[in-house]
Amino acid sequence: MVDMVITESQATQGVTEAFNAASVELLTKGEPAWLREGREQAWSVYEQTPMPNTRLEEWRYTDLTRLLQLASLRLPEVEVGPGSASTWPDRLRETTEQNREAAGHIVLIDGHVVHADIDPVLAEQGVILDSLHDALTLHPELVKEHLGSAVSADDGKLEALNMAMWADGIFVYVPSAVRLDLPIRVTRWISQAGAAYFSRVLIVAEAQSQVSYVDEVVSDDFDTQTLKSSAVELVAGAGAVLQYVTVQRAGSGVFVHSAQRTLAERDARIDTLNVGLGGSVHRVDLNAKLLGPGANSEMLGLYFGDGNQHFDFNTSQDHTEPNTGSDLLYKGALDGASRAVFRGIIRVLPGAQRTDAYQTNRNLLLSSGARADSLPNLEIEADDVKCSHGATVGELDTEAKFYLMSRGLDKVQAERLVVLGFLGEVLSRLPLGGVIEKVTGAIEEKLSQHG
Amino acid sequence: MTDASILRIEGLEAKVADEDLSILKGLTLDIGKGEIHAIMGPNGSGKSTLAKVLAGHPGYEATMGSVEFRGADLLDLEADERSQAGVFLAFQYPVEIPGVSIANFLRTAVQAHLPEDEELDVFDFTDILMERMEMLEMDVAFAERHVNDGFSGGEKKRNEILQMAMLKPKLAVMDETDSGLDIDALKIVASGVNKLSEEDPEMSVLLITHYQRLLDYIKPDFVHVMVDGRIVKSGGPEVALELEAGGYSEFETASAS
Repeated sequence: MVDMVITESQATQGVTEAFNAASVELLTKGEPAWLREGREQAWSVYEQTPMPNTRLEEWRYTDLTRLLQLASLRLPEVEVGPGSASTWPDRLRETTEQNREAAGHIVLIDGHVVHADIDPVLAEQGVILDSLHDALTLHPELVKEHLGSAVSADDGKLEALNMAMWADGIFVYVPSAVRLDLPIRVTRWISQAGAAYFSRVLIVAEAQSQVSYVDEVVSDDFDTQTLKSSAVELVAGAGAVLQYVTVQRAGSGVFVHSAQRTLAERDARIDTLNVGLGGSVHRVDLNAKLLGPGANSEMLGLYFGDGNQHFDFNTSQDHTEPNTGSDLLYKGALDGASRAVFRGIIRVLPGAQRTDAYQTNRNLLLSSGARADSLPNLEIEADDVKCSHGATVGELDTEAKFYLMSRGLDKVQAERLVVLGFLGEVLSRLPLGGVIEKVTGAIEEKLSQHG
Repeated sequence: MTDASILRIEGLEAKVADEDLSILKGLTLDIGKGEIHAIMGPNGSGKSTLAKVLAGHPGYEATMGSVEFRGADLLDLEADERSQAGVFLAFQYPVEIPGVSIANFLRTAVQAHLPEDEELDVFDFTDILMERMEMLEMDVAFAERHVNDGFSGGEKKRNEILQMAMLKPKLAVMDETDSGLDIDALKIVASGVNKLSEEDPEMSVLLITHYQRLLDYIKPDFVHVMVDGRIVKSGGPEVALELEAGGYSEFETASAS
């Protein structure tokens, strides 16, 4: 432990006993100079950036001063977790068993890789699946070229903190024209209450390659706040196809922040699916950049809240080149006193003629205490475009419920069918092996607790 | 006929749950096992309200009278229990359930009709579904479509008949099944009802309709005229023909005075 005195003004900037220049310094040990400089620079951005407050439009509905207890968080203790699956927590083992069918796996316990494998045929073709730390040593040039290229410290306070403090991560690299048939699956388990986990994901798909990636986090419930911060950088070269899915099934008490940026070059396609089921607070900042003519992005989101869960999805679709497309669909069901915020913007720059950009957010309220706020937005500077946005907040249709009950389904079965049908539209748009079943199962589990 | 009675409605009064005004104002009707009854009446006479009250729609409330179904108090049961007991309502406006396939929906519904300890065999279910669809001259691909989502009027009504064929009710209440159908679609739907009726001669049917034309294809044993929440005339099929000639005005004047 580093002994230090934190002044009041430092504290308001988010300098704490765990997060300070000295702890950043510790992390840089043994790291290349460029990375050390990157962390130090990120730390100074963090220190100089005020903590976002609700006066900022992007944080209007998510009050960090109330929801994020930075000062009480600590860095996770370094324990190398059990390497053999037989000693893993049951829930982690069950989850990894469901995720068996894959091109490669990584399993992390508290940020440490406890299992990694990749199809040897793919490895021979140059596909890389490594922890980001190992990749720093094994593939320094590749990592240096791309790390921080999509999510940089300048993107915001939390992004800067992640860049300064990240301790674990995943690196995926797919060489030109190599196509993976099965997804890569990453399964994470976090176990230390009160810890702050900073992680990064960097996926680089070279021209004409194809890769899909599913990242899932599970944990028990925590009675003290635990932070899971991630920065996700997705880079697709010309004509490449990259699919990224994240399934958040953390326990209560977890504050999830995920900063995601997609960079799609000419004719590339990057699809994302954010599934939010667990945690207490789940905030996603997703920015899709369509950087080359013909680039495309499908942006999908699905969430199911209950209790006091708080979801906040902040998305942007940036069209800078002609003939680009993006299609966003976020759907959520909210029970109990849960709450969801969706704020999305489509930005079309003057040169991006013949852009097709769509944005839809639909919410289904299952209880009178639940709430959804939806703020779709357009900023169009080109004239030859097709763009639309729409948002709805609706309640469970009593006619639909009566219709199903008149066929013999009880109230719970009727609601289950309507909710699964409502959310199923999202999953059917990105049918990756096993994801639909897993997410459907998790939703059913939550629905069964519905009063 | 009393022994073979399946549905006995006596002095039924009902209203929209949040309102005061009664829509059914003392309706009495007795339906025997295997009988086909038709209720005809002008718009606003309360025909559809009767259908919804029988099926247990939560938006309606019975305030007086009784409904006995196979000896039990029907008004005491929730909508799902009524279905399990053998009441089926073919909706005038079938509801769209996006994202839920007909096959999945019907599997859940058929399972709900089985005793609690009995598990529906998925293969048996599929066989029965295929057989029923064939009987109703429906394309098997139909089962994978989402319930009523984007269906034409005719497809929605055929979907109702398919559900009826799968659930095999004791009493089928058909609410304006002919509305919004062209003559070809009407014939297909009517032939489905007739086939089910031949298959199970004990199934009773209550047809609710504004027009006589449905009765050209499904022949009722009894026809009732409903005006202002009551049955004002009952008789054989000839009543429908009289109505076609004279319209409802005779009854409406009588009721208003």
